[in-house]
Amino acid sequence: MADVTLTVDGKKVTAPAGTLLIEACKTVGIEVPSFCYYPNLSLQGACRMCLVKIEKMPKLQTACTTVISEGMIVTSDSEEIKQARKSMLEMLLGNHPLDCPVCDAGGECELQDMTFSYGAAESKFMEAKNHKDEQQWSPVVFFDRPRCILCYRCVRVCGEGMDVWALGVQNRGVSSIIAPNKEDHLECEECGMCIDICPVGALTSGAYRYKTRPWEMKHVGTICTHCGDGCKTTLGVRRADTGMEIVRGDNRDKSGTNGDFLCIKGRYAFDFANHEERLTQPLIRKEGKLTPATWEEAFQLIGKKFAEVRDRDGGSAIGVIGSTRTTNEESYLLSKFARMVLKTNNVDHHRTADFPAFAAALRGKADATASMADVFTAPAILLIGNDPTEQHPLLAWQIRNNVRLHRSRLYVINSQAIKLRRQATNFMQIPAGAEGKVAAFLAGDDAAADAIINSSSTKDQWNSLRDTLRGEQNLVIAFGSEILGSDLSSLVTFGSAIAGAKFVCLADYANSRGAADMGLYPDLLPGYHPISGSSEFHTEWGEIPQAAGLDLSGMVEAASTNKLKALYVVGSNPIGRLKIDSFAFSNSFVVVQDMFLTETAVVADVALPAANAYEKSGTFTNTCGDLQLVKKAGEVTGTKADFEMIVRIADAMGFDVRKLVPIGGGTHADMGQSRGAQSGEADRHAVWLEAHGLEPKLSPFDPMAILDEIQRLVPGYDVSRMNLLAGNSQHTSLAKAGPGVAHRPESISPANDTLFSSGTLGHYSRALKSVMESHEVKPAEVAAD
Amino acid sequence: MPVLKNIAAIAKGMSITFMEMFQPTTVENYPDGKGPLRGARFEARFRGAHVLQRDENGLEKCVACFLCAANCPSNCIYIEAADNTAEHRVSGAERYAKVYNIDYNRCIFCGYCVEACPTDAITHGHGFELATFNASNLVYRKEQMLASRPAHMGANVVFNQADVDGGAPKEMVAGS
Ligand code: SF4
Ligand code: SF4
Ligand code: SF4
Ligand code: SF4
Ligand code: SF4
Ligand code: FES
Repeated sequence: MADVTLTVDGKKVTAPAGTLLIEACKTVGIEVPSFCYYPNLSLQGACRMCLVKIEKMPKLQTACTTVISEGMIVTSDSEEIKQARKSMLEMLLGNHPLDCPVCDAGGECELQDMTFSYGAAESKFMEAKNHKDEQQWSPVVFFDRPRCILCYRCVRVCGEGMDVWALGVQNRGVSSIIAPNKEDHLECEECGMCIDICPVGALTSGAYRYKTRPWEMKHVGTICTHCGDGCKTTLGVRRADTGMEIVRGDNRDKSGTNGDFLCIKGRYAFDFANHEERLTQPLIRKEGKLTPATWEEAFQLIGKKFAEVRDRDGGSAIGVIGSTRTTNEESYLLSKFARMVLKTNNVDHHRTADFPAFAAALRGKADATASMADVFTAPAILLIGNDPTEQHPLLAWQIRNNVRLHRSRLYVINSQAIKLRRQATNFMQIPAGAEGKVAAFLAGDDAAADAIINSSSTKDQWNSLRDTLRGEQNLVIAFGSEILGSDLSSLVTFGSAIAGAKFVCLADYANSRGAADMGLYPDLLPGYHPISGSSEFHTEWGEIPQAAGLDLSGMVEAASTNKLKALYVVGSNPIGRLKIDSFAFSNSFVVVQDMFLTETAVVADVALPAANAYEKSGTFTNTCGDLQLVKKAGEVTGTKADFEMIVRIADAMGFDVRKLVPIGGGTHADMGQSRGAQSGEADRHAVWLEAHGLEPKLSPFDPMAILDEIQRLVPGYDVSRMNLLAGNSQHTSLAKAGPGVAHRPESISPANDTLFSSGTLGHYSRALKSVMESHEVKPAEVAAD
Repeated sequence: MPVLKNIAAIAKGMSITFMEMFQPTTVENYPDGKGPLRGARFEARFRGAHVLQRDENGLEKCVACFLCAANCPSNCIYIEAADNTAEHRVSGAERYAKVYNIDYNRCIFCGYCVEACPTDAITHGHGFELATFNASNLVYRKEQMLASRPAHMGANVVFNQADVDGGAPKEMVAGS
């Protein structure tokens, strides 16, 4: 659009025509105060805080609803304007309680800030304030009505942003009140967006209420550890007797691709970290029972056993199961450890998407993968399978808001009437399990059409959809785990004929993509290089076994015939999640690193207490391939990061760990986050640890050194380190990846998580559990229908 | 006549000395005086050891807003907040201070905390006998600082080590 030039407070401002005055002012550093205006939401014009003087207009105008025009002369600050704003504040404060000392918003409240700026602190009213008790609308949403200033941001973000429409306005004028959709409670997606967006403390979070104050916490921006979308979440941490406790999650600084979006899991489900069942001591099975032991004892035992099995039965008698929630550095290290130290290729993880086929199909194609940011800007999106609203909430948010704000065209093909169909230009329902056929049909196989037609669609419709799609440009094609193997390559063939088309392959866990990229496969090294071929890894890692190893089901089978003597499980729960018999490994020596005594950990011979992703540093790769920095926020003493445990086991096996991890530059003290000025320097932290009988976490192993190696060796990971460290997401590419190998479709088993579940982790989150319970249909309600 | 002048000056000076000799003494007879204060006397505005006040219902006034800690220039106030519940009500508002410590190793008695407090919960009392042989005794806990009675019932206007050691009566210290 053509640019328009105007003058604000004597400054020349140039912005595209159609820009709102309030936004144009921001570009030159002039802040116009606002309550009801919020970027990317519909305009409300309710609060009158944004009043400015525009020449040739008789009265003060609202900058949030005025579109700029050529030659406009605007004054944003004058006595008249100040007075107007002050009176608006006086009105708002008329019935506002004096709750600041206890209010959760205190210290980051927009009403406080405005009152400070405009000095409407003294009330002219003598009347008693009208009090209403606080209401609980859901396990995580509380509402304090007198604090509400009726800006309607919550109503709009829930409706327009989330497409949930759970909040509404009752009554009119001064007696308007914000109300939940079910009379006295909410039935919604529990995302907490309304709480975050509320400029005051009217909507407060069940997880954080009255816990502490904003300036008393340390705020650490890291990556959510739940689904594969990689939202940036800023965790508020404070010191607790057991280390550092996470008390809040939000992303108000809008850093990261998700902006201020977080779903319930990123916002509330950090509480598993302080669950009382958390393991904080190594356990060794003695006389059939898991008994507390020292770290030294545990490492020595594991080292001895692993070395014994390797030297006696060969590395192929050892199995390794990696995690989809450890960092890239840890997955890479595990992959390397298995091959170099254990001498085994029996390496696997819980696979939720066919990334090897994806990498193979995109080989040599530059710019063929879409980043999470691309999903928000693409002019057209094709979504086959999956239900992003439940399984990829950020992806769903990006799609929804792209459609709403940029009029993107959305094509949805699904066997269920998923919620995103409401945004779709075209929704095609197909018989269950026919997603693969859709790929074949799109790629030109007309015979496949029969399998995808059902009562609601005709062949002609499908043909015309295919033609429409072929005519699109810069189409983003996102697909779920239903599409794999040869169907996946057909889909890529179809997409590659479309100019600028990009793909997103959806996997379920926070670092599923990383686990795949880092080569947690029996037949693939990092970067999808087949084990039997040749690659930099073969030269760098030295002598590694050449024959493809066993996948998970292969390992179970080998265990049943007593051929698998040892199993090393890092942050994974195959018995609980993949329906493996709990006696499957009863004849093997099983070592499990986990946070809890999961179904897998209870059968272990040694269980080691692990730190979770919120308690360590490293990187995650989201399902789109965006690499992001993970930072240490919380801390639970008595646990160790998987990284360190792997290295210590290698050391206990007599391996020269220098070959495994680049070491240099002395020790790195991972102190965790201190509590600001009150906790002070490293030595005082050490005294505090001592007083609590805890050990200082000093480690010579720097995950960043492994990141160096990853960036050097893994194709597509050579992104800007500078940008990565600055906290931006960096899109990796699959163009130069290895050729991959074909896998059996059964080796992939989707997590099938919903909005309120999160694999094994979800079992240990009170927030998720309480929400799930409150959403269970109550028998009485069913009867009433 | 410089000699006479000098004698006159000495006589004048000594007259003051002799006059003062017969005046009653104005030095405080601390610590050998009478009463609980053992002879110490204060201006009302004297800033001594802190007292955490109670409201007219005997509930703690502090709502754990952390403003005193934020305002403290020597960073010696440590608070942990907790939720009041219907069964366990400690303060009048939603939140109370589960832990409230002042580290007198660091406190400079500036009174900024008192000024910051929105609920008039923290005040400076007149407690001044804080010396100890063990520095860790100087970290005072909430229980040591809490007023035993609401102010209108004559809470610790004057307050000394004996009160500190005695602590607040059990029945008043809800939740502590
Ligand atoms: S909403 Fe803001 S102004 Fe109102 S009580 Fe809370 S902190 Fe104070
Ligand atoms: S939590 Fe999310 S879905 Fe629920 S009312 Fe708030 S914005 Fe709407
Ligand atoms: S609850 Fe908050 S966001 Fe909603 S209208 Fe009131 S002040 Fe605005
Ligand atoms: S969308 Fe995914 S990554 Fe984002 S907050 Fe939710 S679970 Fe976490
Ligand atoms: S003493 Fe006063 S300022 Fe300090 S936390 Fe309590 S209420 Fe807040
Ligand atoms: S911000 Fe313009 S009227 Fe509210």
